[in-house]
This record gives sequence, structure tokens and C-alpha cells, in this order.
Amino acid sequence: MADRLLGIGCLLLGAAMAWASRSYAAEISYEPVGPRAFPLLLAAIFALIGAWLLVTGGRRTATPLPATGAAEAATATVPAAPHNNLIAVAMCAVAVLVYGALFQPLGFVLATTLMAVPVCKAFGGTLKGGLLGGLGLGLGLFFLFDKVLDVILPTGVLSFLLGGR
Amino acid sequence: METLNFLGQGFGVALMPTNLMMAAIGALIGTIVGMLPGLGPINGVALLMPLAFALKLPAETALILLTAVYIGCEFGGRISSILLNVPGDAGAIMTAIDGHPMARSGRAGVALSISAWASFVGSTVATAGIVLFAPLLARWALAFGPAEYFALMCFAFACITGLMGSEPLKAVLAAAMGLALSTVGLDSNSGVYRFTGDNVHLSDGIQFIVVVIGLFSVSEILVMLEHQTSSSGLIRTVGRTMFNMKEFMMTGWTILRSSVLGFVVGVLPGAGATIASAMAYSVEKRLNDKEGTFGKGDVRGVSAPEAANNASANGSFIPMLTLGVPGSGTTAVMMGALALYNITPGPALFTQQPALVWGLIASMFVSNVLLLFINIPLVGIFARLLLVPNWLLVPGILAISAVGVYSVHATTFDLLLMGVLGIVGFVLRKAGIPMAPLILGFVLGDLMEQNLRRALSITNGELSILWGSPITIGLWAAAAAMLLLPPLYRRWSQRRVSAA
Repeated sequence: MADRLLGIGCLLLGAAMAWASRSYAAEISYEPVGPRAFPLLLAAIFALIGAWLLVTGGRRTATPLPATGAAEAATATVPAAPHNNLIAVAMCAVAVLVYGALFQPLGFVLATTLMAVPVCKAFGGTLKGGLLGGLGLGLGLFFLFDKVLDVILPTGVLSFLLGGR
Repeated sequence: METLNFLGQGFGVALMPTNLMMAAIGALIGTIVGMLPGLGPINGVALLMPLAFALKLPAETALILLTAVYIGCEFGGRISSILLNVPGDAGAIMTAIDGHPMARSGRAGVALSISAWASFVGSTVATAGIVLFAPLLARWALAFGPAEYFALMCFAFACITGLMGSEPLKAVLAAAMGLALSTVGLDSNSGVYRFTGDNVHLSDGIQFIVVVIGLFSVSEILVMLEHQTSSSGLIRTVGRTMFNMKEFMMTGWTILRSSVLGFVVGVLPGAGATIASAMAYSVEKRLNDKEGTFGKGDVRGVSAPEAANNASANGSFIPMLTLGVPGSGTTAVMMGALALYNITPGPALFTQQPALVWGLIASMFVSNVLLLFINIPLVGIFARLLLVPNWLLVPGILAISAVGVYSVHATTFDLLLMGVLGIVGFVLRKAGIPMAPLILGFVLGDLMEQNLRRALSITNGELSILWGSPITIGLWAAAAAMLLLPPLYRRWSQRRVSAA
């Protein structure tokens, strides 16, 4: 079922790419192959794979190499979760996005503290651990990168303390 | 003789104080990153790459740092395999099979020291292999035209997908996704903006660092959450720290065989450290397991995969340096790092930038020696780092990732894109789509399209040039073999199993 959904996704992606690239043409062309060909080729690959997944349901076409065990090791994709921590995953995902959004306006130190609290909770830490750990990381990394290594980081609302730029 | 001259020059570069210091820092960081479960060489290189760039390190120094991190990771992965029974990176999966039983029976120190020695020999043999074969391959590859390059890249994709285990189709899909991501932005030939949605931040294309950190580091964190590893706890009793003469003699041939095997596997695009260590382990088991000691704490079972994974990591530099076509996820990231410095790897690199290439190769020898010294006496200090809890470690990784992404263009857009790509990467991995072909596709996308277009310009659109020379025909045949042989072999061995 999941693979059928993936197939539908691929078909849509292929269609969207083909639709978006229809207008890509050079005004004056010096070469036989323009900017449209390669995206269209990829769109066709997506469509083919999508159709295959939709029709077959992505049944596994082959079993792993039994003799070496190399294939099992090579397909280091994710095994099924023993207990579903979907809430924790969602919490972390949102934290990362909010972190990105607040990185510049709030400044590195505060944004990092704010990000650390939910992430810490998701990984089994405490609220206090997240706050203190996040603040420690924020300050420590700020001084390491901004002051010692000269990688400029945003100071945001704490610019009066940290020497704003 | 000429090669030795260049190598001598390379040592001149590698032994300069800054470069030596960077190699040492890289070796330290690499060992730590490799050791921490969930962080592998790709993450290590991806995290340090933007920092190296932001610190305005010269190209060869940055490359030496990143290479030391890569090799260091292959050294470090074994520590958590042995002490925690949780592999520190994918190449160290096999090391846990014999390493952890050794640690449980009070021989952790022996397992750690013999595997460090094996890693050292594996790396050194493979680096010697680079010195011998890379210049030859580079000279041969100078004759490649655009059609040959296009075929070569298709061969690299065939390798990486054919060897990807049970669902090659999804690996092809991943590669196509990477190629599609690489088309975003300005098409330099025609001046057309593609897939930018009129967003200024996308007009230069998607930042390589954002893609790598999003797809690998951020998605890895979400994956870590989903299956919290259960381990039997860190083993603290280390016992005797050095292997003795008997253990040294016993593992001698195993280490040499595994090193050569690992090197050969590493040179093949797409195979890499994971497959090399699994193959080396099974070969040694078949050759040596007379008393059934493999799996219960055999020193050879620890040294074989470690020699092989280091040898293959070093070997995987050959296709990247000589052909400009990386063979593994990590070398793909290194190639992206070179692109930040406007350096395009390939056969011409050996003639145009000998100081860079040979400095890099010499620095591999230097890093190996440093790593051997770091990894035997100081291993106890590293092991203590395994006690840092995930709830502190993960926010730290996220913060450093964000610093890396921010340091390149200083935009909120890139940070948000990193988060979005992390979530997308997580969903894709849940759907069974591997990330390594995706990153290879992203790195090679532009080159592949350019070479295709250039080839077709030569013949004015006639497709026959793509299979018009002996080299292209050979490459297409090899690509077909890579795609078709693994499934056939599987079917054949399955029939043999069911017949028996």
C-alpha cells in the first residue's frame, strides 16, 4: 500500500516536472539540446517508476544475497519502529522548522535554547535539562564560532549583550 | 619515479604545520563522529565542510581536514561496535559480531587495539594503491570526451543501484530525484531559470550543504527517535590494552587479504565500506573458521571488517580524484566541497593541481599514523564520550548543522529548506528509498546534463555518439552487467539453497 502511494507521488512529480518545464526554451539556441530535454527525461523516468510501483504495488523483486549478508548490510534503510514515537518525531520536526524561522530574528543563543527544549523532551530528557543544556550549547557554540573561529552568527534580541552586528 | 617525486612534493604540503594540525583535528573529530551511533562519515564531512569554507581555509587544507575526518570515522566506528554492540557507522556493523563478545569476555582492550591496527594497515595498503593506480587511471581518462563521461556516470549509477540490495528500483528513483534537484536554478547554457518558482534564493540552485545536512543529519535525527537503540550498556572493563605477538601473527594474513579486498571494492563506484566489510568477514569466516570461534569473539573476525572498511574508504577516492565521478556518498560530499572552491576533480586535476592531489594523498598516510596513535592509547577517553546522553547530543548536532548551513549564505531561507529537506528525507527513508544514490545524483546532475548536451552538440543531435566509441560501449556493457548480475546471482543462489 505504501508503495502504491509512493507510485502515485512519483506520477504526480513527473507530471508536475513535465508541466513546469514546457516553457523552458532558450531564446536563441546554439545547441541541438536545450534546457527542456533533461528535465523531461527525468519526468519520464519518474512516470515510468511511478506507474510500475502503482501497478505492482512494489512487491520485492529480489531477496537479499544470502551468501554474503552484504545486501542486508547495504540496505541500511530503516527497520519498522518497535514502538511508534510519531509524536516525538513530529515534535522534533516542528522544532527544526521553528528553529530555522527564529534563528535570525531571535538570535543564535535564544533560538538554540528554544529548539533544545522539545528536542530534549523527545529524546527522553527533562525540561530543566533541555533549558540548561540548550542555553549552555547556545552560549558555548556562539563563543566558539562567533568569537574564536570568526563564523558570524546572528545575535538577535541579545545583540546588546553579545556585541550586535 | 615521477610518481615518487610528486609524492615527495605531497609530503611537503601535508607536513606543513597548518595542514598537519588540521589532519590531527580532523582525525580527532572523525574518530568521535564515527564512534557516535547515528553519525557517520557523511555527517562528519557535511558538518565540517561549511565550517572549513567559512574559516577561509585554503583548498588543500580544507580537503586534508575533511579526508582526515572521513578516515577517522572509519577508525571510530569500531569503538561503539565493540563496547556498546551498536555500530558507530554503517561500515562497523560487522565488527560488532566478534568485537562485542570479546569485550563481554573482558578482552575489550585487545579488540580495540587489534582493530585499530587492522584499520591502520587497511588504510595504508589502500593509500599505497592510490599512489600506484590513480595516476595511471587519470592518464587513461584524459582521452574521455563528453559521450564517454555521460556513459561513465550512467555506469556509476548502475553500480550504486545494482548493489543496493532488495529494491534496486527505489535506488534508481533516488538517483533520479537527486538529478531532478540539481536542475533547479539557472541553466548556464541558455539563461533559463528552471523550477525556481520565481524565488530569488533558488536562482543559483539549491545549496549543496543544505541538501546534504537536511537529507542526512536532520533526517537521521528523526530516524534515531523512531527506533531508540537498545543496547546492553557500555562495557567498562577493558582488560589488557595491547594485543600480543600471537594475536598479531594470527591476524596477519587476514588483515592483508581484507585490505586488498576492501581496496578493490572501494574503487568500484557504489560499493563502499559496508559491502567491503561484510565481504571480508564472510571470506575470512569461510577460510578460517575451523573451530567455530567466529561470532564468539575471534580476533580475526574483528580485524577483517576493520581492515576492509578502511581500505575501501581510501580506495573510494580513486574514482573521485581521477574520473571526477565519486563512488560513495561520502566522496560525493567531498566533491561538493571541492566545487565550493571551484575545483572540478577529474583527470586534469593531476596535471593542473599536483600540489593539491598529492598533498591530499600524502596527508592520508599522515592521518593514518596520527589515527593509530590517537586510537590505541587514548581510546578510553573517547569511550567516555559514549556516555553523553542523546538528549544533549542531538540538540548539539542540530545547532552545529544550523551554524554550518547559515555560514554559507546567512539566510533564513536556507535554514527552513534544511528543515523541510530533513522531513522529506525522513519520509523517503521510511518508504525504503536510500539516500546515497540521491546525493550522488545531486552532485553529478549538472555534469551529467552538460556532458550529454555537449556530446549531442558535436553530432548536432545525433544520439549515436553516445555509443559510438569502444570506451562507451564497454561502459554501457559494464553498466548493464552491474544492473543485471546481482538479481541473477540472487535467483541462482536462491535456487541452490532451495535445491539443497
